Amino acid sequence: MASVLHFRTTLPNFTYRRPSSLNELLQLKAELGGEASLLAGGTDLLVDMRSGIRRPKVVVDVKGINELHLLEHTRDRGLVVGASVTLGELGRNELVRFKYPVLYGAIRKLADPSLRERATLAGNIANASPAADSVPPLLVYGAKLELASLRGRRQVPLREFFTGVKKTVMREDEVITKIIIPEPPEGSEGEYFKAVRTSEDLAVVGIAALFANKTEPRERIVRLGFASVAPTPLYMDSVEELFRRDAPINELIKEAIKLVLKEVNPITDVRATKEYRLHLVKYVTAYLLRKYLG
Amino acid sequence: MVNSLTIRLKVNGTEKSVNVEPNERLLDVLRNKLYLSSVKAGCLRGECGTCTIIMNGKLTKSCLVLAVEADGSEITTVEGLTKGGEPTATQKAFIEKFGFQCGFCTPAYVLVAHWIIENMPGATDKEIKELLNAVICRCTGYKQILEAVRRAREIREGST
Repeated sequence: MASVLHFRTTLPNFTYRRPSSLNELLQLKAELGGEASLLAGGTDLLVDMRSGIRRPKVVVDVKGINELHLLEHTRDRGLVVGASVTLGELGRNELVRFKYPVLYGAIRKLADPSLRERATLAGNIANASPAADSVPPLLVYGAKLELASLRGRRQVPLREFFTGVKKTVMREDEVITKIIIPEPPEGSEGEYFKAVRTSEDLAVVGIAALFANKTEPRERIVRLGFASVAPTPLYMDSVEELFRRDAPINELIKEAIKLVLKEVNPITDVRATKEYRLHLVKYVTAYLLRKYLG
Repeated sequence: MVNSLTIRLKVNGTEKSVNVEPNERLLDVLRNKLYLSSVKAGCLRGECGTCTIIMNGKLTKSCLVLAVEADGSEITTVEGLTKGGEPTATQKAFIEKFGFQCGFCTPAYVLVAHWIIENMPGATDKEIKELLNAVICRCTGYKQILEAVRRAREIREGST
């Protein structure tokens, strides 16, 4: 069935709506729930509709809602990214580049420049792919999502958002309105390592690493976030706790690699085998920890 | 169910009004209703880039845009680059450097090259390669295409 559908070139029928206010959008979601799919950049939705993975009765374009285009930075809240802000916009933003280098690096390695002009950060998250490049950096920065429905608004830490492949804690009437990325720890550094054949491809394994206060065990911050190693993007609290211990750094690095290998659970797919992914996790984790802590 | 809509586009400098269905891609409307056959349907999933157009000043893969979303947009395709049938500097450079073979991806690459020259005249090779990355060519190899972009810039600079 799927292989037959794969060759269709036209999209199935749906009704198109373009609300001009958040309230109008929330009303549509309250009425239609899962029958309405949100359209921001469309780079995942149009592909999924063609292959038949998603068959919405109504496609709701969110780009007409001003509130969702918000992109602002304040000292107390950090960076607030509205749901319609594109990856291209973020990739050109000087503040993202210098304050959130791990996120910046991931964005510049995601798909290609013309797709990034359409694709949104919120869409990359909502799609809930285990391979989403923007997610591991957001995990290490401790990002939160604001979800809204007619019932009200709530904030969910990104670390608690994903429940499985393409599954999240979002209810059928809810939408992501913004992503809140707190001010990074003072003096932090790090990077997003994307193990991949070519950048426009999906990550075979993606690892975000953020470090601060490296010489002061009790204050030390070592945060690792992973893509393509489990059914959901992974954040490992256990690693952060481990590095708070006052022990020789090389021993902690060895321990950390063991911990990481215990928590990941990669699969074999078209891009790599499970064994190759485990190999990458081990060596890339070691490389990043030694590079910044060694 | 069907709610046919009228959209307005400014295509290659001319205002157009087109009736579209909600599920029509911009790509198909450009090809089948506005007869701009330089815009190619390749993978239809945003990977090959042969459907690339310039939409509101940005390089855009038209297979992943609904026609209704493009209402009010300004669109440039290769058909809009030439004036009076004379090839542009970019097109001349592609011919000179053999930046094509079968030609299927060529309109997209010419647009990318045109965009680079217009918007990033000082682009480094690394930046040019990153932008060329948005389109796939299966015959020339990318060296000639990169050379064509560099050559187009030279021609352009020489003429101004």
